[in-house]
Amino acid sequence: MTEESDILRIVEEDILRILGEEKSKRVSLESIKSEIKVAYLFISNAIKELEREGLVQSQGDFIVLTKEGAGKAENIVKRHLVLENYFKIKGTKREREVHKMTDILEHYISKEVIENIKKLSTFKTEGIPLTKLELNKEGIITDILFPDYGLFERIVSMGIVPSEKIKVIYKIPDGMVIYVGGKKFVLGNDIAKGIEALG
Amino acid sequence: MNLRIILVGQPNIGKSCLFNALVGPEVTISNYPGTTVEVTTAEKTVAGKEIAFLDSPGIYSISDRSEEEKVTEKALFEEEIDGAIIIADSVSLERSLYLAFQVLEAEIPVVIALNFVESAEKKGIIIAHKKLSKILGAPVIPINPLTKRGIGELVNALLEIKETKGKTFTVRYDDHIEGAIKEVSSQVTRTQLPKRFVALRVLEEDADFYGYLRDKRKIEAVKEGLIEHPKVAEDIAITRHGTAAFIAKKVTQLVHVEEAARSLDERLDEALLHPLGGPILTILTFVTIFGALLFIGSKIQDILTGFTEYLLSLIHLGVGFGSAALEAGLAGMMTGISIALPYVFMFYILFTLIEDAGLLSRYVVNLERFLRWFNLPGRAIISLALGLGCTVPATRSTRILFTKKEKFFTAALLSCVPCSSRIAIIMGVVGYFGGKWLALSVFITLFVSFLVLGYIMKRIIRIEKKPVLYELPELPPYRIPSIGNIVTKSWIRMKTFVYLVVPLLFLGGVAYAGLGALGLTNVIVAPLSPITWWLDLPDAAIIPLVFGFLQKDLTGSMLLLVLGGKVSSVLTPLQIYTFGVAATIGIPCIIALGMFIKEFGFNKAVLLTATSILYGLLFAGLAWRLISLF
Repeated sequence: MTEESDILRIVEEDILRILGEEKSKRVSLESIKSEIKVAYLFISNAIKELEREGLVQSQGDFIVLTKEGAGKAENIVKRHLVLENYFKIKGTKREREVHKMTDILEHYISKEVIENIKKLSTFKTEGIPLTKLELNKEGIITDILFPDYGLFERIVSMGIVPSEKIKVIYKIPDGMVIYVGGKKFVLGNDIAKGIEALG
Repeated sequence: MNLRIILVGQPNIGKSCLFNALVGPEVTISNYPGTTVEVTTAEKTVAGKEIAFLDSPGIYSISDRSEEEKVTEKALFEEEIDGAIIIADSVSLERSLYLAFQVLEAEIPVVIALNFVESAEKKGIIIAHKKLSKILGAPVIPINPLTKRGIGELVNALLEIKETKGKTFTVRYDDHIEGAIKEVSSQVTRTQLPKRFVALRVLEEDADFYGYLRDKRKIEAVKEGLIEHPKVAEDIAITRHGTAAFIAKKVTQLVHVEEAARSLDERLDEALLHPLGGPILTILTFVTIFGALLFIGSKIQDILTGFTEYLLSLIHLGVGFGSAALEAGLAGMMTGISIALPYVFMFYILFTLIEDAGLLSRYVVNLERFLRWFNLPGRAIISLALGLGCTVPATRSTRILFTKKEKFFTAALLSCVPCSSRIAIIMGVVGYFGGKWLALSVFITLFVSFLVLGYIMKRIIRIEKKPVLYELPELPPYRIPSIGNIVTKSWIRMKTFVYLVVPLLFLGGVAYAGLGALGLTNVIVAPLSPITWWLDLPDAAIIPLVFGFLQKDLTGSMLLLVLGGKVSSVLTPLQIYTFGVAATIGIPCIIALGMFIKEFGFNKAVLLTATSILYGLLFAGLAWRLISLF
């Protein structure tokens, strides 16, 4: 069971996150109400508590972060993003589920666990661009990032796709020769930048 | 009943080679990707049925991004075809299946021709082709176009190609994509093409297919409905490839083979693609080719010249205009052949050799980056390299470039890239009568004129500075070229010389005699004497220059005709040099002009041709003045 004091803390954290995500650090009471779907009493109590701690200030119908509050809010936003990214496993795009899980779990998770997750998720998804891949070392393609679908499709149809093994065999000026699926291709650095691999 | 069958496959997969095996030696087999940008058609009668085969440019997928893709897409969907042969690569089957799936999505009946089976086996890759055939619901036939393995079986399968319709494999996409396909399909109208296929093309952002939709706004609505899957096109490509990889894996058996520690291929590539060594080796190769051309060519020219003189001494047709004209025609023809043939033919043999060996594509990679000086994309080097053979197909190949400006710029540069006929002038006239160093000086002058022209054009035609470099050309494996292939290919490229140039050489001689007989020679010579004055050449030397514009190979023979065969005693070495330069810079001939008109329109073509010839004359005049200062 969630204690009443717990709910208050969760609402406080959510308010700080909403404020932290806003560039101006200034949000109307109305939008806070619509985003946090709890009884108004909890919200007004949470704001009162945050004001008492000197983290936010009320300005008419708006709530503003103080300098102190901004620091704390930033940490909460970061925590939220790390979790959200972790749940967003590549390929599945159940965004609503991801949001739900993040929204619940973020309030119960310790700093240490967040650090661990951070490490895990960088390990899982972040490859380095081919331009930085070590020469003659086999890597695995993790991602292909092109704004232009034409180029993306061309690359995929040539067998350059995530999970495929890739090797940079020579560097040539402004480009490289890669080895993928038994074939050699010449690749300019401009294109190679958009292909990420794990070395 | 007749059949129309299109050959589809990746670049460099042996498509043209299979085409040859199917219909006989008609097309050029190229080891250099991107050299076919047109559809070639040939017909053959099999078991009472006439089969028309269409050879298409190599592509990796059906799309409309590059010129090759546009041409193939057009052939697939606008020509009435009964089926397609998909040439698949046993070494990387999944890549070929990707393309095959797209063709199957268009509900075009296919037969899969499995190529490179032997080289795959050497690498320990064995494809269970019968299993693959079962999965795809289409015949899969292992072939080898060189040994004709499987060709008969392939043709037999074609006769029944229509039977496969409706029984073939389809890629199943994720539910959200299938939903989107269904929705877009309901909007497809006015086309014979399958609705599902059109929907896929639309979802993959191929603008050519938007026209088949009842309401284009519907796509936006469908895409908005997929808010949780913002990258539908990417998802489609990934699923298609995933399916291809899955099936390829299912039918592929890997056997362990001992691999050579470091193959010759690797060592060759290391040397040829070295940042500094690569360009040096490239230049050395071309210098060697030209050296060999000059050395061996002049020996052949010696023999042919001797033979020509002997023949001409035998012919005395008596007096009168007719016989004089005939004699001049024969003399023109024979001299023209002696001057041009050895070099043109040898050049094509050597060029084809490095092309087929897989060397040319490495040289192209080495030279690509230098084109950035002119803000040109790297692939323009392909057109320039082809320009060493003949300016006409080289101009046509500028279609592989992206913008009009790039195409025009590259085509303009071709005026300073000597085609084989111009190389023959430099070697057969300048080199033969003035020595190898003089020939070399002409080459160097041409190179300087190339750089100057490039610099000027860069100023005039402003191309956005971000040229695409190395846009994923595949490096073909090195191969030991087959002699039969080289001879066939050189012959195809030489054919115009024999069928067109030889008669023209004869007519040129006749025309010259005609001008003399009618006393019209002066009509050409006198008004153009400022040019010969500028070039410090005898007035009559304008004749070979003018005739040369009609057909470059006429230049040499006409020069010998007007000078009575005594080039070295009439002209000083400096004059031979000037003549060589003046004759070789510029849009070379009337056929090239025709191709320019076709590609760029009449006005631009004529403007460019006239300017390029003036540029050549200006350059030649300045060059000799500069040299005589020292």
